[in-house]
Amino acid sequence: MRVRIVALAGLTLALLGAVYGQQRRRLFILEDEFVPLPPDADEKTEFVFARLRYPTFGRGYWGWRGAWTVDYPKADRQFLQGLRRLTRIHARSMEEVVDLDSDRIFDYPWIYAVEVGHWDLDDRQAARLREYLLRGGFLMTDDFHGTFEWDVFLASMQRVFPDRPIVELENADPIFHVLYDLDERFQVPGIRYFYTGRTYEQDGIEPRWRGIYDDQGRLMVAICHNMDLGDAWEWADLPQYPERWASLAYRIGINYIIYAMTH
Amino acid sequence: MFEFFFEHSPAVFRKGEFILLGSWPIWILIVLIFAAGGILALRLRRTAAAAAPGVTMRRAAGIWALDTAVVAVLLLMLWHPAIRIAALKPQQNIIAVVVDDSRSMGIQEGSATRLEQAAGLLGSGLLDDLQNRFQVRLYRLGTELERIQSLEDLSASDHATHIGAALDQIVAESASLPIGAVVLVSDGADNTGGLPPETIAALRSRRLPVHTIGVGRPQFDHDVEITDVQTPDRALAGSRLTAQVTLRQRGFDGRKARLTVRSEGRVLATREVELAEGGKPQVETLLFHAGSPGAKRLEISAGPLEGEENPGNNTLARLVNIVDAHPRILYMEGEPRWEFKFIRRAIDEDPTVELVSILRTTQNKIYRQGIHTPEELKEGFPGRVDEMFSYDGLIIGSVEAAYFTPVQQELIREFVDRRGGGLLFLGGRASLADGGYGASALAEVLPVRLPSSKQTFHRDRAGVRLTPAGRDSMITRLVDDAEANARRWEELPQLADYQEVGPPKPGATVLAELIAPGGRELPLLVTQHYGRGRVALFATGGSWRWQMTQPLEDKTHEIFWQQLLRWLVTGAPGRVSLSVPRQMLFDEERVRLTATVRDTAYAPVADARVSARILGPNGLQAAVELAPDPARIGIYETEWTVPGQGSYIAEVTAYRAGKEAGRGVVTFERMDGVAENFHAEQNRELLERLASATGGSYYTPETAARLSDEISFSEAGVTVRETKDLWNMPILFLLLLALKSGEWYLRRKWGVV
Repeated sequence: MRVRIVALAGLTLALLGAVYGQQRRRLFILEDEFVPLPPDADEKTEFVFARLRYPTFGRGYWGWRGAWTVDYPKADRQFLQGLRRLTRIHARSMEEVVDLDSDRIFDYPWIYAVEVGHWDLDDRQAARLREYLLRGGFLMTDDFHGTFEWDVFLASMQRVFPDRPIVELENADPIFHVLYDLDERFQVPGIRYFYTGRTYEQDGIEPRWRGIYDDQGRLMVAICHNMDLGDAWEWADLPQYPERWASLAYRIGINYIIYAMTH
Repeated sequence: MFEFFFEHSPAVFRKGEFILLGSWPIWILIVLIFAAGGILALRLRRTAAAAAPGVTMRRAAGIWALDTAVVAVLLLMLWHPAIRIAALKPQQNIIAVVVDDSRSMGIQEGSATRLEQAAGLLGSGLLDDLQNRFQVRLYRLGTELERIQSLEDLSASDHATHIGAALDQIVAESASLPIGAVVLVSDGADNTGGLPPETIAALRSRRLPVHTIGVGRPQFDHDVEITDVQTPDRALAGSRLTAQVTLRQRGFDGRKARLTVRSEGRVLATREVELAEGGKPQVETLLFHAGSPGAKRLEISAGPLEGEENPGNNTLARLVNIVDAHPRILYMEGEPRWEFKFIRRAIDEDPTVELVSILRTTQNKIYRQGIHTPEELKEGFPGRVDEMFSYDGLIIGSVEAAYFTPVQQELIREFVDRRGGGLLFLGGRASLADGGYGASALAEVLPVRLPSSKQTFHRDRAGVRLTPAGRDSMITRLVDDAEANARRWEELPQLADYQEVGPPKPGATVLAELIAPGGRELPLLVTQHYGRGRVALFATGGSWRWQMTQPLEDKTHEIFWQQLLRWLVTGAPGRVSLSVPRQMLFDEERVRLTATVRDTAYAPVADARVSARILGPNGLQAAVELAPDPARIGIYETEWTVPGQGSYIAEVTAYRAGKEAGRGVVTFERMDGVAENFHAEQNRELLERLASATGGSYYTPETAARLSDEISFSEAGVTVRETKDLWNMPILFLLLLALKSGEWYLRRKWGVV
């Protein structure tokens, strides 16, 4: 009996190892569908799409399936295809997962955090994120909706910058013009739109483009509230998903990255 | 002794012309010598074979050579050898005796001053000897040459020594006076930086020999002297400056001295240095902050140490014009990358330099930052000379050479060469060799040779280390202490990437090296001058890690980039600039103001009206016009008499067609009575060079007695050609005796009778 248990456990570990090996750095998370590893996933490039892994409110990194993993990795890789095709940025085809507990984050001056309405940074992580941003790092947040999730987001963000206001971004801000002129913006819904028929989630009816500036007037944190750009990237290849939403999501993402690489 | 053997003094042989007075032609002499040699060889062969059959060829040849030499000397004496030499006619020539009367001659040398030694030497017979045969004119030498009646008129009180100017005056006098020779009694401590070549040429053309008598010790026993200080004439406000101090010491081997830079009594930088081996020049670098705009007078001092014999040479002064300019640098980047962002951020914190950038975001779009108007750079990288030359510096990032048209490439080259702008190349995947620069017109401007292969850019981490030149550079100075700075560089986070380049070109300076994976060392930061401008290469696009991976308080990244870009544009001249040969005028009354005037395309302008306004001490104001130099287009010059000691500022304004074309400013200061403290040891090298170049001789006080005999041989003044026989020189008879004795001895020894 004991031999069988040990054999079964070994077989399971071997299977998991094989899958992990095939995926290499891809974390073994079953989001929506299997995403093949790009052939040039290991290319050394200038830009790497760094996805922030953070502790979920009350549950640690992996609670609630790990809120930071939403849309991962398809959204990242599909967006990167667009970034590589539409700009001169030398970008890697595969994302990188980083967290605030490691110094590796300082090698990635642009990070993307999704579902930050569920994040829960402790004081040390908040201090690290503050240091990261003041040194010149850039944070884009996305896919959180309504008042409740805003309050959760704010609870951690105020530990990062207790004294810096979160402001509405003006249309004239360079971030909306660095490549594409994005004066005409609208709410980009997630895939849930096809189930609910609504472009918003919870009470987040109005899309908000907000941010936090440094002392020199440069944006450090770009906050996309009441929209789901990640889903638009992820489902851009779905025939039913409207092109205008996907297109705006790509343009916003690209503008934010180029802004982060120029300011 | 020489004259016992050779009948005449060495000067006769040195200055005379060798001749043969025999009436038969010289070819007969040569034929006879060869014939005698042949006959002697035949005779020796016959007699030696019979008398000593075993004698070797080598020994026979030795005896033959001695025999032949005897015949050759005898034949030469028969042809009547002699020397023809020009000599001054007694009582018909003037000897100019010039005695250095500057303050350095008052330095005590044992029991007497240098001047007392010189006067004693002349008064103890030398002057009388000369006066018995020639007319003697006595002069005192200081800033000017002045005739005196007796040695008692000397006082060692003049505040400078201008040997060249004095000799010029004697050359001028020799046009109307039969001056046969010049005797200069001096320590050779000239304050004008040496002998002008035109003075030497004038003396040579008049065949006027200058005999020099050196007084004073060739070196002090205990002294520290600052021999030179190099500082930039101009610097941007708030930037970091270097003072390269050259010092020399005697008698303090291994001791320590404190170098200090002061301005208006305030210490700007100070450092203790270990003194190098006695007599050897030692160069030390001090760094300090330029501070606020305005003319700044720097005093650089060393020591003084206890027991110094001449503490007056421990301090030198320099002027630096701190300007409130805001040079603009254009940064052309071919792709969005982190290096671009972080360079921009570093320069954002610098109030001095403005960074204007063009970034290729997509294949067909550019993004401009730092522009003054919406029209600026609207069409992309400048294609017109006035647009390009409106910037002071240029950075070329990761953008392939082919992106620039041939016209633009030539414009970039001209930007450095003619405009005098600064150009910085960065590493990147489309930079340098990978960007095709090796085969472009810009290859000539690069400070390194590029590999012929592509794929020289690597996204692998690399360490950094300063070179010896980098340790002294203000570009790479992150902390004031040189040793700590070198360590700081080695401790810096690794660069995110690096690019291979070839060896530096001659004249280029490698300030920092990168340490690639495997320990390979490659040039990282290289600088050079090209034409009127400066060029630098930074073979990486990954210094942004210095910012992102170090604590926020660490300013390494910002300091480095601000210093590099300030250096790049500090030398960039405006369209109108004004300069003087030296900003510190030691006992000099005249200053030459030189203005350079260029148009908007930085082409020299010949039709400008250029005037200067000079402000000096005690409310002095003067206005002078500068005249165009007919030999150099765009250069306007004038000489101005500096009325007294103090600091002066001159501002030049150029006008074309009634409109102002630009302004330039220069500062200078006149200081009297300081120069004699420097180079106070006897400059024997200068005195020997002067004597040798003019056909004279150098004498020490001990050998000066020979002067009265040798001075006669001169081709200047009123001369007579003398012929002096050589056939009767005792040395020739002794030579014949030695040759015959040698032959006899060898014949006896080897049995060749």
